[in-house]
Amino acid sequence: MPLEIMEVPLAGKVLEVNVNPGDKIAEGSQVCTIESMKMENPILAPVSGVVKEIKVSPGQVIKAGETIAVIEY
Amino acid sequence: MATTAELIEKYKERREKIKQMGEPKVLENRRKAGQLSARERIDYFFDPGTFTELGLFIKHRTAAFGLDKREVPAEGIITGYGKVNGRHVVASAEDYSSMAGTFGEYHGKKFAHALDFAKEVGWPCISMNDSGGARLQEGMDTLESYGWLFRAQILASGIVPQISLLMGPCLGGQAYHPVMQDFLIQCRHTGFMGIAGPAFAKTQIGEEITLEELSGWKAHAVRSGQTHIVAEDDKDALDKCKHLLSFLPSNNKQKPLRTETKDDPERTVPELDALIPDRPTHPFDMLKVITSVVDDSHFFEIMKDYARNCIIGFARFNGRPAGIVANQSMQAAGIIDVNAADKMARFIRFCDLFNIPLISLQDCPGYMIGSEQDWKGILRHGAKLLYSWADATVPLISIIVRKSYAGAHYGMLDKAIGADLVFAWPTARVTIVGAETAASVIFAKEIKEAENQQEVRAKRIEEYDELYENPYRGAERGYIDDIIMPSDTRKMINRALDVLENKTVARPWKKYSNINL
Repeated sequence: MPLEIMEVPLAGKVLEVNVNPGDKIAEGSQVCTIESMKMENPILAPVSGVVKEIKVSPGQVIKAGETIAVIEY
Repeated sequence: MATTAELIEKYKERREKIKQMGEPKVLENRRKAGQLSARERIDYFFDPGTFTELGLFIKHRTAAFGLDKREVPAEGIITGYGKVNGRHVVASAEDYSSMAGTFGEYHGKKFAHALDFAKEVGWPCISMNDSGGARLQEGMDTLESYGWLFRAQILASGIVPQISLLMGPCLGGQAYHPVMQDFLIQCRHTGFMGIAGPAFAKTQIGEEITLEELSGWKAHAVRSGQTHIVAEDDKDALDKCKHLLSFLPSNNKQKPLRTETKDDPERTVPELDALIPDRPTHPFDMLKVITSVVDDSHFFEIMKDYARNCIIGFARFNGRPAGIVANQSMQAAGIIDVNAADKMARFIRFCDLFNIPLISLQDCPGYMIGSEQDWKGILRHGAKLLYSWADATVPLISIIVRKSYAGAHYGMLDKAIGADLVFAWPTARVTIVGAETAASVIFAKEIKEAENQQEVRAKRIEEYDELYENPYRGAERGYIDDIIMPSDTRKMINRALDVLENKTVARPWKKYSNINL
């Protein structure tokens, strides 16, 4: 099964995480929200699959390119 | 001595033989893989019976490595002109069945000549790339012929539209050809492009990577931003190319073709009055704005998989082709980063070169800040947008939908940088900086010394927000021509395009602006 490594699209702060490891998620479902540039940015799953890992937690300051989650699809 | 009848017969034979193209096995394999041959591509592309071939009988003149005995039908590239939907177009189609469509001296000469010809007659030039690369047997002659092609296309750039269809491989320096065209359409399963293929990457730098990953559609439509449109197969690529051509004039002296439409130019769009979320931190889909205001909801998006925080593409307003540039808050806050700036700037300049009016739909919190973007040169890349707008002489219309903060205000086209008309929705937030940041700078001391810091801070933010984060200050100064109901956006754009139909600009002579590249 291939792995999709979701990367942070823009630097900011994690507001909330909407999924847990083991969750089955559909493409387009919200994985987390990043607060950045005066916006609450929903980060959506690019593929349907199972969440293997979550690498961020609410309140955490993150940089572009860091891993948000790993999805097996 | 041969009779006239024999000469005619001989001519027919020779012509037919070349038209059969190269190796039958290659043609058969291609057919099995669902690909068209070079001649089938030409046939599918042009209106039936309109294609005139140029240089069918051209032959290489190399003798080295047994090439003197090698027949390469039409030198592995079909060139000529014909009509596409009734309008003249020049095309070149590389033929992979003829010595793998390799690029030699006369292959290059034909290719470059097609571009020169297109430039002279003022017709768009389409290239169908499908080549095994440089014909190494020809050595220096091949090397030099690349220069002819590159120079020809660069000198034609800005005179006639140029579109490449990446239908097969195009690896090595040859790939500068498709990349330097105005638009590049890449076939999802068969188009591969790059400065070098996987074999070179392995031997030269030890990188192990597949052709698909290194040079396929994702590499360029998603990562590098060099592919504008992804096509499912050959026919889809040719259809998309025809569709794209319908928005473009034949050359830089003409206006794009205006078509009939049944869509009322004064049509109101009531759903737009309720589109913007109450909270400014919440995103909305700008594509909904675009598709609701253009003719017949028809939007031809360009580079949709790259820098998705902005949107570019063609549409029509009351039958007039126009370029649309917009921010998409659903992706990365709709900020302008280095990639978004590059994507928008080159599109603006293309539209300006070919007399296509531009409409900007603004909802942008600014240029992206922080070390990552600053070190990538966001100022240098962002500058391309400023140059593009200020240099443009086509009608420029700006609609401030929501945020127009700081650098994004002029980066997305304001009055000062060159907009002819600026309209703002009542939801517009036009300001030098967001209220929160402004209040915490201006009132830093007061907030710090206050007993109830939170309360004072909140009050000051609200104050700044009410005073500045709206469209009225801009309208009071005349930087915004009017504040309009969102539902009237289509109407206002159409009226503006009517007024600006014959816009002319006179400026002092210069070679060109020294745009930050």
